[in-house]
Amino acid sequence: MNLVINGQTYQVAKDPPRVLLWVLRDELGLTGTKFGCGAGYCGACTVHLDGVAVRSCQVPVSRVAGRAVTTIEGLARGEELHPVQRAFLEAQTPQCGWCMSGQMMTATALIAANPRPSEEEIIAAMDGNYCRCGAYARIRRAVARAAALARAATEAV
Amino acid sequence: MSQPPARRWRVSRRGFLIGAGVVGGGLALGATLGLPWLRLALADVVDGAAPPTIVTTDPAFWFEIAADGRVRLAMPKVEMGQGIHTALAQIAAEELELAWEQIEVVPSSSAGPVADNFGTNASNSVASLFAPLRETAATMRELLRAEAADRLGVAPAALRVANGAFFVADDPERRLSYGELAADAARREVPAEPPVLKPSTAWTLIGASVPRVDLPAKIRGAATYGYDARAEGMLYGAVARPPSLGATLRRAAPGEAARRPGVVAVVAERDFAGVAAESRSAAAAAVRAMDLEWTEGPPLQQEQIDARVRAVPGRGVVIQRAGNAAAALRGPGVITAEYRTPMAAHAHLEPQAALVDVRPDRVLARVSTQYPLGTAQAIARALGRDARTVEVVPTYLGGGFGRRMVSEVAVEAARLSAAAGRPVHVGWSRAEEFHHGFVRPPTHHVLRAALGPDGRIVALEHSQASGGVIFPFIPAPLRALFGADFGAWRGACISYAVPHISVSAEHVPLPIATGAWRGLGLLANIFAIESFIDELAHIAGADPLAFRIAHTGDDEHGRRLRAVLTTVAERAGWGTPAPAGRARGVACSIDAGTVVAHIAEVSRKPEGGVRVHTVWAVVDPGLPINPDGVAAQTEGNICMGLSSVLFERLSVRNGRIAADNFGAYPLLTMRDAPAIEVTVLRSGDVPYGAGEPPMGPIGAAVANAVFALTGQRLRELPLTEV
Repeated sequence: MNLVINGQTYQVAKDPPRVLLWVLRDELGLTGTKFGCGAGYCGACTVHLDGVAVRSCQVPVSRVAGRAVTTIEGLARGEELHPVQRAFLEAQTPQCGWCMSGQMMTATALIAANPRPSEEEIIAAMDGNYCRCGAYARIRRAVARAAALARAATEAV
Repeated sequence: MSQPPARRWRVSRRGFLIGAGVVGGGLALGATLGLPWLRLALADVVDGAAPPTIVTTDPAFWFEIAADGRVRLAMPKVEMGQGIHTALAQIAAEELELAWEQIEVVPSSSAGPVADNFGTNASNSVASLFAPLRETAATMRELLRAEAADRLGVAPAALRVANGAFFVADDPERRLSYGELAADAARREVPAEPPVLKPSTAWTLIGASVPRVDLPAKIRGAATYGYDARAEGMLYGAVARPPSLGATLRRAAPGEAARRPGVVAVVAERDFAGVAAESRSAAAAAVRAMDLEWTEGPPLQQEQIDARVRAVPGRGVVIQRAGNAAAALRGPGVITAEYRTPMAAHAHLEPQAALVDVRPDRVLARVSTQYPLGTAQAIARALGRDARTVEVVPTYLGGGFGRRMVSEVAVEAARLSAAAGRPVHVGWSRAEEFHHGFVRPPTHHVLRAALGPDGRIVALEHSQASGGVIFPFIPAPLRALFGADFGAWRGACISYAVPHISVSAEHVPLPIATGAWRGLGLLANIFAIESFIDELAHIAGADPLAFRIAHTGDDEHGRRLRAVLTTVAERAGWGTPAPAGRARGVACSIDAGTVVAHIAEVSRKPEGGVRVHTVWAVVDPGLPINPDGVAAQTEGNICMGLSSVLFERLSVRNGRIAADNFGAYPLLTMRDAPAIEVTVLRSGDVPYGAGEPPMGPIGAAVANAVFALTGQRLRELPLTEV
């Protein structure tokens, strides 16, 4: 079965049935996507499936074949960070960093769908991503800033 | 797995070790923390930190200058989000006169030569390493200066230094970089006299909010944590778990496990059963196919635990005494209140994980652990090996919060690797995290006070009882020596100037494993004390903030407390009315040398419960090495603390911890995270801790605000009854 991840095609076994998260991490070595709870509560494993944020611990890998998967490793274009990454770095957002791939993937999907999110829309979108270090104030600020950076980049084109 | 190059060390003057075997011919200078470290360790024990273990003579940290001029700082402290790699590099680069880009931080491993005997905990990394790091860096600088002076044919005093190079003061073209000097400087003897340290007025890196060194990799998902560690030919391990608290293996046999697909090794021993297989799921499935018989643990209930945790004035070990509180509290009019805090999970988002490769002659391990040396010793004990042949390299940690002072997972991976003859990775599930290991202990506090006719506190007594924090991890003779668990009573002492004070602590052995949780006893003790102070202020008819200031002492702590209280009052507009439907509460604390005051502004949620809108925080860590880092730690402590204060309660039902996952144990999310306005004060040239102290006042600040809003005094965490 072929998976397309960050634009690259990988071949993985169809069986046994398993979820995308562990295929990414243990079979393909894409460990930027993190495991936190395995039950869809914490959001650490968030990736994009055809541009939509999903919990990779809840997605059977069989359902992903032929669809576009984006992980944190695919967010930057080479050396050039994605506006979300730039904003998270600028605000010195991560502490331990374990939840941050999921935070940034959730934020990226939000901004792609809604380039001008209100504070309430940011909270609604980000509320399912735990940060045990408690960096919420900076995450909130970074997402708003990322939206502005992304708009500026779009307008510049 | 790669191993750092072996170094040999020669002992030099003033206790320094000069390294040989540096790649490409360079200079390495290491320092054993020696006697000052022992003194610090003792102070830590008294203040309530980690237990001391055997102190080796290996250097505790070292610098290395390669021939290409790169400077590496091998760091004894692990990075778990607190920014310690950045802060320590700032201190080092300052004294070494490096441009910020010229220093690189690498984690040091447990095996020779570096060993950190205490682990990373108790907010003591910066405080304990500030002086030795500076002196070592300055000594290295002076070694290089002596070499440069000889080579350039000028007196050492004629040289200036900047950006990792010496140059002649009146002829800047004549210069030599550290890289050019390193190999020959390594043959010199350390100067006899301690170097002159840079005056604080000349600092450019210490006190600057430089960006964190670990964030570029974390932003790209490229940082390696224990769960991410990989090796050629690695297997995955799974371990059989007891079905209830206190259950043990009665009998273990491989059963059908060995015949399951992908299984490489099955271990069935007296105290351990597990499987190493080609995938995690294969390992987990095979464990379920093992033939295991468990003893039954007692059908423990939460009420049984809570009933044991009961402070009784006069029964605990006295840890602070002034005047004669017992006599002063004998008359009528004594004010009494009781407070309780529940058990809590650490809930670091990266579950425990380790990759261990057991080879015939040595063991290599990569572990997200707060205590590499302790982990190496535990692996050595389990395998019956010499601890010096076990090397634990810490990875980044996906949160630590005290839980990773013990890394059982590394021992599990080691036992499976020993059986399989290949590297084995074990990563716990969230359910394993909730059910195994240890939790924050429940606490109970009885506060008693007497007020004078002028409304001042005449006598104040705090009696607290807690499950173990440090005691479960130290031998009985040491427990007897200390009497009370200094981890549990962290934060329990009274910082106000009161004529008669008595504080006592009672260690309560519990049928559930308890231990260190961020701040140890701090959150619970300050919740109790600072809520009670608020009660006294209201009884005295005083403004809670003015009441606190009126009770601060004339010493340094008193001055610093007044400064944070006054500042937080200004920032929050204390004294101006809160917006309609809201109210404010204040609380303060001193911990690990750092003074903190919080004001919380709250309202009642329409659906019930407390909404915290804003927290104003003022933190005085003495000398903030990285003010933005201190601010980040303050924000994080407030949110993690609020999660406990508003929501978290771990309980036991029928011999099991009731929560399996976050569905039954929700954490604070963004919606409940307040706006946080942090002010970082600098009160001197000595740094104190920042990783835990800002947690202290958050519980009481919110509870006091709830009282101001509703007149309801909530004396038990979490604050759910509003």
